[in-house]
Formats: sequence, structure tokens, C-alpha cells
Amino acid sequence: MNRTRIIFFAIVGLAILIVAGGLVWSQLANRPEPIVPKASGQVLEVTLATALPVTDWVQEAAHQFNAETHTLEGQPIHVSIIPMDGLTAKGRYERDEMDPLPTAWIPDSRYLVELVNAAYKERLGRDVFLTDGEYRARPLAISLLAWGIYESRAAVLERRFGKISWHTIHDAAMAPTGWAELGGQPEWGYFKLAISNPRKNVSGLQAMVAAAGEYFGKTSLSVEDVTDPDFQRWLAEIMSSMSDLSGGTYTVDDLALFGYTTGDAGQLLESDLLVNMQGIQSRWADPLRIVYPEYVTWFDFPFTVWMGPETTAAEKNAALEFEKYLLSREVQEKALAYGLRPANPNVSVSGEGSLFDQWASQGVLSVIPRTTAMRFPDRDVLQALLRWFDLNVAGR
Amino acid sequence: MSRQSQRRPAPADARLALALLTLGLFGVMALCCGFYSVVSKLVTGREETPPTPVPASALVVAYSPEKEPVFRALVDRFNQQGFKTSDGQKMWVEAVELDPQSMVESALSGNASFQAITPDSSIWLGQLDLAWSEQWGSDRTAVGETVRYAISPVVIAMWEDLAREMGWPGRPLSWQDLLDRAQSDAAFRWSHPSTSSASGLLATLAEFYAGAGKTRGLTIEDVQAQKTLDYVAALEKTVRYYGEGNEPAIIERALQEGRDFLDAFVVQEQMVVYFNMRRSTDRERLVALYPVEGALWEDHPLALLESAKPTPLQRQVFARFRDYLLAPEAQQLILQHGYRPADLSIPLDAPGSPLTPENGVTPSEPKTALQVPNASVIQVVRDVWWYTKRHTNVYLVADTSGSMAGDKLDQAQAALRVFLDQIKGDEERVGLIQFSSAVNLLIPLDTMARNRTALEIAVDGLQAGGDTALLDAVYEAYRRLQELGDPERINAVVVMTDGQENASSLSLRSLTRRLNADSPVRVLVFCIAYGRDADMDTLQAIAEATGGQVYRGDPETIRDLYKILSTYF
Repeated sequence: MNRTRIIFFAIVGLAILIVAGGLVWSQLANRPEPIVPKASGQVLEVTLATALPVTDWVQEAAHQFNAETHTLEGQPIHVSIIPMDGLTAKGRYERDEMDPLPTAWIPDSRYLVELVNAAYKERLGRDVFLTDGEYRARPLAISLLAWGIYESRAAVLERRFGKISWHTIHDAAMAPTGWAELGGQPEWGYFKLAISNPRKNVSGLQAMVAAAGEYFGKTSLSVEDVTDPDFQRWLAEIMSSMSDLSGGTYTVDDLALFGYTTGDAGQLLESDLLVNMQGIQSRWADPLRIVYPEYVTWFDFPFTVWMGPETTAAEKNAALEFEKYLLSREVQEKALAYGLRPANPNVSVSGEGSLFDQWASQGVLSVIPRTTAMRFPDRDVLQALLRWFDLNVAGR
Repeated sequence: MSRQSQRRPAPADARLALALLTLGLFGVMALCCGFYSVVSKLVTGREETPPTPVPASALVVAYSPEKEPVFRALVDRFNQQGFKTSDGQKMWVEAVELDPQSMVESALSGNASFQAITPDSSIWLGQLDLAWSEQWGSDRTAVGETVRYAISPVVIAMWEDLAREMGWPGRPLSWQDLLDRAQSDAAFRWSHPSTSSASGLLATLAEFYAGAGKTRGLTIEDVQAQKTLDYVAALEKTVRYYGEGNEPAIIERALQEGRDFLDAFVVQEQMVVYFNMRRSTDRERLVALYPVEGALWEDHPLALLESAKPTPLQRQVFARFRDYLLAPEAQQLILQHGYRPADLSIPLDAPGSPLTPENGVTPSEPKTALQVPNASVIQVVRDVWWYTKRHTNVYLVADTSGSMAGDKLDQAQAALRVFLDQIKGDEERVGLIQFSSAVNLLIPLDTMARNRTALEIAVDGLQAGGDTALLDAVYEAYRRLQELGDPERINAVVVMTDGQENASSLSLRSLTRRLNADSPVRVLVFCIAYGRDADMDTLQAIAEATGGQVYRGDPETIRDLYKILSTYF
């Protein structure tokens, strides 16, 4: 073959290579970019089933944490959040339906952890979440149940009854013609109570417990208490004023979205109420007043690591790294913007972006003066309350 | 001369030729590429890449029909965002239209083709969870994470003049005012959708509340009390039209027919906005009345179906879609469609908001809401409504001409059997007319209590043969209903045919003139067309003359025929 032909074929071959290369490149360019960890080593994936009231705060922290590329022994840690109500998570743990199994859990209250542990202890003879030692459940933030009541309605109730309590709410709920006979405006209709569905939301269940506490004037309840016919009749009269019994999860979001048309007042989580204060004022032109109940129900949102063999030691330790991050001063201060009280005692509830400062004029207190805290009742007490609710309110 | 001696350096012109040849080769390749590009554009009709195949991670969302425009727009915009799943797949949402009742039934069957639903109201989620827990155990729920992205109160839409005549806006109107007017004024025409949509269900609940004399605490005993049933049944007799729960279709008719259509009807607030934004200047305005006893809300939830076992990637798509629906861009779009956005930072009365008095709505309303009863009570209300609603006189008119032989007659018989099977009430009156070259009354109109068995036997015995006297058959059914003279019931003719009219003594013009003529009893004619050669123009003319509809006789229609027609009556 002469040199001219060699050059000719070389140029043709080169051209084909260029065109083929271009085609391959264009195909590759259209494919999605693979996710490449920023640091070397296999990624330690931490998944967190997170109670709804703290989800936004924890989610923001997780984004920041992931962006900062934290590592554990050279391995980068990536945190994913699975928003889930505490009662739903409890049910899934107990029925072995948690799929995928999260590395750790942030329920609404450490009480839920104890209930899940108790269920597993019966079956496996051991806890699946440790309550002491290095991996013990640590509170991340604090909140409590408080009354949220529309200002116009609060004024009428206070004029009529003097103070807001479960007894006041009961009497308002019992007014046959509603607000007209309570001293309010007839077009407000009947008194409407806003509490979460106790089957679907921990705060709804705890609100029933709080009502029982006020009824009996004590902080610790027994099965005999909650099955007492007089109490059940009293509670049924209160529950008859719930505006939606169809099975949905009533939350503060609903109180804000539908306003006083579906809820005049409700005992709901303080943090949820604070987050929605501005929106309520914008949409309904009637601000919400916060009133603290005599019997206080606290929520501590503990960070608790799954101890079963399904997760590796490295993953458990990676989860602890994120826990430390959540308890850092910087992240704890950010909790204020979500209406959560920092668990870190060195962080004040006042400060930049604090909803406690912003809504002090609406009754929000930095320090809760009352010390009568409701105790979390036994599993049997809760089951009795839920059964009663199913039969007498939900119609199941 | 040796071969070696012939090898010598290429002269300059040879090099030039080689360079030109190479350039030419590149040119040909470029032309080929260009040609491919042009042809591919012509074939695909797209500017750039070929259509993206739906990825395996796609989330299928069933949506209720009334929000078709806004939901389709939201899904299209989401799919254009190019979001990626954690493993790099393109996030994709596939939207399928389904009425809420069918969503519940499909989810309960365990083989739903969707992983998320967005019905018109959370009431359906409660119904689904109730049925699911009865099926699988009390602690299990079918509905997972739920978010609301738009809300709209259910209102009474009324022509402004009429509303003013009834005291609006100085005096707030009530459900009771509407119901009193319907009972006292025979000329008053109102409607509410059937209970397969939230608007219809909520309007029906309002009737039961009024019948029980309550605004809360409605119990199963209240619903089943004879006094309540009598009250609701009397009211339902005043309903002119139920519709298919298809609110946009109702609004379209209101736009076309104006006051001739109805005096008042129950819809969600957004539909009043939609009407007023599109009405012509000579068309009167509709206003939204928020009943003083309490309105009810349609809250348009988006719910992940745990019962459909969504994959982790579908969960990711759900989470991203959920966030997208709540993002400012989507929330503004929702407001522009006349819904109240879930984002409370968006003022309802902001400049550019369509929620204005000019569009017939009052953003500060409603003041209160009726209590939504528990799922068991709602189920009883739905069941009982079927017995209290206006009863029907229906003539089934079956084409047995020669062209119906084979599959088409089989399908028509199947549709008739399902139709008869789904008529729950023994008080409904049904008759059967068969036609080919001539018209034969097979089963005279009578209650299902007396006619059911005879109808089933007659349907089984239908045989094809002869010509098609379609127009005569329709008129025969119509004439018999007019002779019966029973305006308290809804009177309807359901025609099943495949072909071309070729044996009637009546002409189409003559028939439609008779159908259009003022007569003491209003008779609706529905036509079910089988086969491609059905004369749709003729069928359309017959149906339109009576306010009825034409449907294609596909398998879905067979299954849903009764549901479609009975809710339209």
C-alpha cells in the first residue's frame, strides 16, 4: 500500500473515530449524572424516621449536614429524613412493617420509645432502642400542648367563663345553639373543637389524656379512670364538637387553612401553633391567642438509635454524629424559628428569629410557670382511650 | 518498468485531490448528520431530543375530574423541572383521571395502577381507611403521607338577580332557604351532583342535617329516621339534574344555556370563579352563596397510598412533587385557577387574585362549617341517598338489526345485564323495547320488583336480524313515557345501537321536532353507540334534542353505564 493510501485511510479512520466519539459523547451527555460522594470511601447512609413537628427543622439541619460533608473514620455520612408521625412509626415498628428500617428514630416523645421497647421485649426479650449508655435516647427539642384560640372567640369565652380550660371547652361545646348563647355572633355557628385525630397523631391522643387529667384533677391515670362512665360521657360531649369526624388527621395546619370555620379553639402542639401564627393572621384577620393549660403535656423528641443487627456499628455511630450536630448551639438556635424550645440548656428561647419573642403579645411564654406535668399513662390506658374513641367518635 | 519505479512522491495536484476528497468525505458525513437531524425532527415533531420514555420510577397519581385543568398544568410543569431521583433517574409524574369513588374501589382491590391519589376531599381518605381496616385489621391504614395544596368551599351557585331576590347580600342565605324555595316554587330548578363527588356528598349531608334538624352530631339513627328520609326524599323530588359529578360540564352548560339551564346548583367555589371569568358580557353573573348553617370544604389532598406499596424511588418522587405543589410558583398557579392556595402567605385579595366579588366570590366567607360526620355515618348517607333520590322511569331500547350480530349484540346484552344488576331500588321502573325492521315492546314499564326476572330473560333472548328502525323505536319509548305522564320521576330512554337508520317511518327532523316540543313530561334520551359505523350525527341530534348524551359502547361504558346514566338523570 502506498503512503498516499495509508494517509487517506488514516484520515478516513480518524474522521470515523471523531464522529463515533462525538456520538458516544452526546449519548453520555444526555444521561443523568451519577451521584458521586464528595469524599472518598463508601457513604454511610443514615435514615431518620422523624416526628412531624420537628421534621422541617431536622430536614434543614440534614441538608446543612450533608453539604458540610461530615465523615466518620474517613467515610462520608449522608442523612435522609423520613417524615412520620410517632404513632404511625410505633405501629410499624411493632408490626415489623418499617421498610426500609431507619437507622434512628425521632418520635414525639420518649414514651413512644418505651412502648416499642416493651413490645419487642415481649417478643425478643430485649430492647431495640437503648435508654441508657452511649446510644441512649436524648431529647433534641421541647414542646408542649397549649390552647390555640381565635382572639374573638377567646374574648367571649373569658367573658363568660373566666378562663380557658377543658371544663370551659366542655361547657362551650354543650351550648345547643352555639356561639349565639355564649355571647358570640350567631354566624359563628356552634363551638368547634380542634384537636388531632388520636388514631393518627400523638398530640391528639395526648390531648385526650390531658382532658382526663383535668377532669380527675390528677397527673397519673389508670384504666379505671378512663373507663369511668361519667368521664366517658363528659369526654363524648367535648368530642361532639370536633368539626371533622371523617377520619382525617386534624392538625394546626388545618386550623390555619380552614380557620375558625372548622376550629374555634384547640389543644395542639405549641410549636405547630407558633409556626402558623403569621399565616392565620394573614388569611383570617383574627389572630390566635395562646393559653397554657393547667396540666402540661410535654414532648421531648428524643433521638434514638435502632440497636438491632440490621444496621452496622458504623451506621449507628454515624447517626450519633448527626445527633451531636442537632444538639450543637448553632442548630439548636435554629429550632427557635420552628417554634421549638431548645433541648440544649445553654440556648435561650429568646434570640434572633425566635417565634417566642415574636408572639409574646399573643400569650406565648418563654418560661412555663406551672409545674403540673401530666405523666404518660400505661399502654393499657392508651388502648382503652383509643378503643373508646373508635367506638364512640370515629364510628369504627 | 518495475513496480518500484512507479512509486514516487505524489505530485502537488494529487495531494490537493486527496485533501479535497477528505473534505468531501467530511461534507458527506455532515450532510448525513444534518439529514438525520431534519428527518428525526419531522418524525418526532420535537425540536431536540426524542420523547423521554416514562421511567420505572414514575409516580402515577389518580386525580378527580373537576380539577383536570389545574392538575394537568401542575404535573406538566413538574415534569419539565428535570428533577432527579437519588440514583439519577428523571422524576416523572403520570396523571390519570378517576372519580373518587373509583379511586377508593381500585385501592381496596389491591391492584391499583396508581401509587398516590388526589381526590376532591379528604372524606374519601377516611372512607378508604375505614374499608381497608375492615379488610385487613384495625391498626392498618391504606393512606400514607397526606398534604393539602388547594382548598375550595362548597357553595350554592346562583344567578345574581335571583340571589338578590332571595335577600342576598343583605341577608345571609342558608341551605334551608334553598330547600324551602325548591319545595315552594315548582318553577325553581336546582341541582346537586351525585354522592360520587364531594360536592354532591356534602350537599346531600346538608340535606340530611336539615332533615334531622341538626348542624352537628348526625348519627346513623338520625339518617335512617323516617322523618329524615321523608324530608330528604321530598327534597330530592325537586332536584332537576344530578350530573356525573362533572362540575366543569355543568359550568359549560351554564355558560351555553345561562338561566335556561338551572336556577341554582351546588359546586365548589372555584367553579363560580371559572364561570364568571369566561362568561360573555350578555350573560348574567353567578354568585357563590355560603350557607349560614355552615359550608363544607373540598380540601384536595394529595395522599401516598401505602396499600399500593410504592417503591423507594416513587416515594422520592412523591416527596418532591409534594414540595413542588407547595412551592410559590405552583401555589400562584393554583390561585389563578380560582382555588384558595394552601400557602397562607399568599393573600386571597392580592392584586391579580381572581377571588373577587366581581367573580362572584367572597374570600372572607364562609364563617362556619357543618360538622363532617364519621366515615360510618357518611357511608350510610351515601347508601340511603340512592333510595331517597328521584326515582326513574327508564325504557331500554335495544337494536337487534342484522348488523348487531356477534360481538356487538353480546356487548349490548352484557351492558344491559350489568345495568339491570346495578339498579338497587325495587321502586325504579324499567321496560324494554327491541327494534330491527319493526319496533316491539318486549317488557312494558314496571317496577323492578315485578319486572326484574322478565327483563333478564328478555335480554338473554335477544337475537339479531333485519333492518334498523331506530327513529321509530326512540319515538315509541318517548311516546309511552309521555302517555305515562309521571313528572315526579326522572324519565329516560337508553338506546343501544350500532348502525344506520334505514327502516323508520319517521324522519330525523320529525323525531327531533317531537322530542323538542313542549310536553308535560321531560324525557332524556341517552344513546350508546356500538361499532365504528354507528351514525353519530343522528345519535347526537336525538340526544341533544332532549338534553341527553351519546356514549361509545366500549367495555368501560358497559361497566359504568348505570353509574354514568343514573347520576346524570
